[in-house]
This record gives sequence, structure tokens and C-alpha cells, in this order.
Amino acid sequence: MTEKKFDPVIVGFFCNWCTSAAADLAGTSRLHYPASIRPIRVMCSSTVDPVYLVRALQEGADATILGGCHPGDCHYITGNYKARRRVAIVKTVLKSLGFDESRVLLEWISGSEGPKFARVMNEYTEYIKNLGPSDFKYLDSLGGEKLD
Amino acid sequence: MTENDILVKFIKDAFDKGLIEAVMAPSATKDSYTYALITKKEDVDKITPIAPVMQWNGADMIRRITKLKKSERKLLAILRPCESRTYKELVKFNQINPENIIVLTYDCPGTVHARNFKYEPTSADKLIDDMKNGKISNKIRESCRVCEYPTPIKGVGDIGLGIVNTNEPVFFSLSDKGKEFLAEMNINEGERDDSTWVKLHRDNREKWLKEERITGGRKGLEEFLSSCLNCHNCKDMCPICFCKECFFEDHSVFDYESNKFYNWADDKDGIRLPTDKSLFHVGRLIHMGTSCIGCGLCQQACPMDIPLYRLFGIVGNDLQKVFNYKPGVNDDLPPVMDFREDELHEFEGLFGGEE
Repeated sequence: MTEKKFDPVIVGFFCNWCTSAAADLAGTSRLHYPASIRPIRVMCSSTVDPVYLVRALQEGADATILGGCHPGDCHYITGNYKARRRVAIVKTVLKSLGFDESRVLLEWISGSEGPKFARVMNEYTEYIKNLGPSDFKYLDSLGGEKLD
Repeated sequence: MTENDILVKFIKDAFDKGLIEAVMAPSATKDSYTYALITKKEDVDKITPIAPVMQWNGADMIRRITKLKKSERKLLAILRPCESRTYKELVKFNQINPENIIVLTYDCPGTVHARNFKYEPTSADKLIDDMKNGKISNKIRESCRVCEYPTPIKGVGDIGLGIVNTNEPVFFSLSDKGKEFLAEMNINEGERDDSTWVKLHRDNREKWLKEERITGGRKGLEEFLSSCLNCHNCKDMCPICFCKECFFEDHSVFDYESNKFYNWADDKDGIRLPTDKSLFHVGRLIHMGTSCIGCGLCQQACPMDIPLYRLFGIVGNDLQKVFNYKPGVNDDLPPVMDFREDELHEFEGLFGGEE
């Protein structure tokens, strides 16, 4: 009998101008990155309401990534600075309540960094695999670890 | 003369001198106190400027008055210290137009839970006596017992009334506007030392921040919120939750085809409905936690007596530490309205810091 291998689901919100372009570049450069990443293209990292990051976690994702342009390179001038504040808020809330805040990741990947994109996705998937399934998705459900 | 009498006299004098045209202050109802807007001098006797309960946040009431247009008349608002901080925070959020409004605040004895007050009434004078004796009664609400700023702060509001540590209550100015106002009222500014009263609360707060923290991730949060009705009362009472359209009220955000629900139930070994119960509180923390004033009205509004201020106050305190921000205390912009180019690198990447 083979044990079922844990295959994480990672939802990525990637900005249209940088990280999504990097994903394309990684693809056209034939660089491999794991299929556990579910990319969602958004116009800017700051268009993602921080609640969507935790909502993805609750609805079944094991981790979420927010990808934007490097600071100073935002297509909309200041979007990624705002996104950084929002991710800081989400991570602090998760940490305060005793959840693992590393399940939310903020990465700056520019359009020309295809190899970095593939490397980050590989490393993060490996990291989440070692961490195991998230317990946040069992919030308000009957499954997961038994609660007394 | 009690402190309330002194304030009533102050308001009447201000009407006489034509310095104000309206006053907003608490007024007694059968079982509680609500805010009243008074425009005539002869009605001033109907108000109780220092009330033993806080049913609503006064700053939220001013927000309603100035929602469409600035205050047309000169308004004197009698607010508690927490409400005056809310007022300042809402001015920063462009929710209140401060033009034509004078805020008077005072050394706060704390308030009783509105429901307890209904069945076991008490008077403001009794609470003020306790305060003068340096005692925090155990009937006072939890959020008041652990209040960080129970007295007026310079720069928040316009006029302060000092009650603790003084034989006769003293007026003092908190802003230039207040200084002018007191000068025109021919009132000499006084001084008093409030440090003991503040320290009493800060000590309580330190202890409370350590002991009442909700930890344990999913288990801790689910147990804490286990009796939540998802009524959204905490959000309705929260003065910082002023959005016209709330993320969590727009139910189309949570509309899914039935398959989705069945699939979740498959994956998670059964789900609890509605599915956004805990997410609502986590989401609200993310949206307003950085500006949580600490009025504790969320906790008072909870029909199931969940001590919600432990969630919003303690996590809010953590958030405010990250941004080195104290809501409603100084002129810094709220963290969600502002950014720096070089900051928060520990939140970037997997292990903090950019490569």
C-alpha cells in the first residue's frame, strides 16, 4: 500500500505587469514549476483585498502568494507599497491568533525574472509540502484535527 | 456642585455668550442614556453630560450629522476620551468634517455595560466618586478597565475637564481652538495630575494583554467564537467600520453554486453553515484592526456575550505595534491610508528580507 502523498494547493495572485509576465517567461523558457500553483492574474498586487488572501486559505488552499513588481517599479507607481502594508496586516493577524503566517507569501518578481519565478515557486511548494496541510481551511468545518 | 452640574452650567454660559448654537451630549432614557442634540438653552437641563453608560460612540453620531455637509451651526460635543480619539481618527479618514465643532472631553470614570445598567442602574456621580478615590469598580466594562488613555490628551479634542486629583474640577485647553473658547468664556485654565489614574489602567492593560490573548490557531478561534450568531452587531456598532458597503454584507461575494458547498463538505469532512462566520471576524480584524480605538462597543453589542474586545483589542494592539501607530492620539495617518518606500522588509519573501 502506498501512502497518499500530500499535494498542496497554492493560490497565487500575480500582478499583470510583473509577476504574471515572469510566469509567462518561465513558461516560454521551458523552466519547470510545480502544478500546485494556481495562478490568478490581477491588474496590480494592491487590487487584492487582503481578506481574499485568508479567504483562499479557508476555502481550501494550503498557502497563498501575492506577487508584485519590485518596490519602485509598480506600473501604478505606488500599488506594491500598499500591498506590502496589507500583507503585513494579514501576517500579523494570523500570527497573533496562532496561525502559521508563513502560509501567506509576498514576493517581488519582475517581468524579466522568469528563472526567479520558477525558483520561488519550487522552493515555496517544497516548503509547504514539508509543513503539511493547513489547518486554516478547516475553520468552521467538522474535519481536520479533532477539537475537544 | 457635581461635575455634571458644572458642565451644564458651562454649556448654558456658552449659549448665553453665543459661542455655541447646539450641543450634543448624553440624555437619560428609561433604561439607558443616548446622545441628544440640543439647540436651545432651556433644553440643556435635559442632558447628563457625563453618563454612566455609553450606548453608542458619540463620534459615530457626529459622523452622521456631518455626513453630507459640514456642521451648519457651532456645535459643542461632549465626548468621552475614547470617543474623542474616535473623532480624531474619523477626521483622518475624512468621515467627519471638524469645521464648526468643539469637542469637550473629561477624565473618564469608565462606563457600565448597557445591559447591566438596565437591570442594575447606577449613577454617574457614584462612578466619579470611585474615580476620585482611585478605585476602578468591578462593575465597569472590561474595555474601560483596561483603557490606555482614560484622560484627555493634548491635541485630541479642544477642551478638557480635569476631575481626578483636584478639589474643584478644572478646565484646560487641548487645542488652539479650545484655548480661544476658554478665553472667551473667561475661564482660567487649571492643572491637575492624572498620572495615578492613567497608571492604574495601564497596569490593568499590561496584565490583560498577556492573560486574555486568544491563541491556538483554529482551535482557539473556533472555541472563542463558538456561540457567534453571525449577526454582525459588532460591525454595526464599531465606529471604525464606516464603509457604506461592507465586504461581508454583500452576500453575492459568498454566493456559490450548490456543488461548491458539497465539494467543501467532501473535502473538509462536513462544513458548518454559514461558511463565513469566523472569516467575518478575521476579515474585520484585517480591515479595521490597525485603527481599533478600544471603545469596546463590539463586546457590549454582542448578544451572546462573547468578549470580543479581547479579539479586536489585543490583535489590534499587535497590529498597531507593527506600524508604530496609536489610533486617534496624534496626527499620523492611519496605516491603511499611508505607506513608506523603505519599510516592512521582514514581511517580504519566505524568510523576511529581499534577496
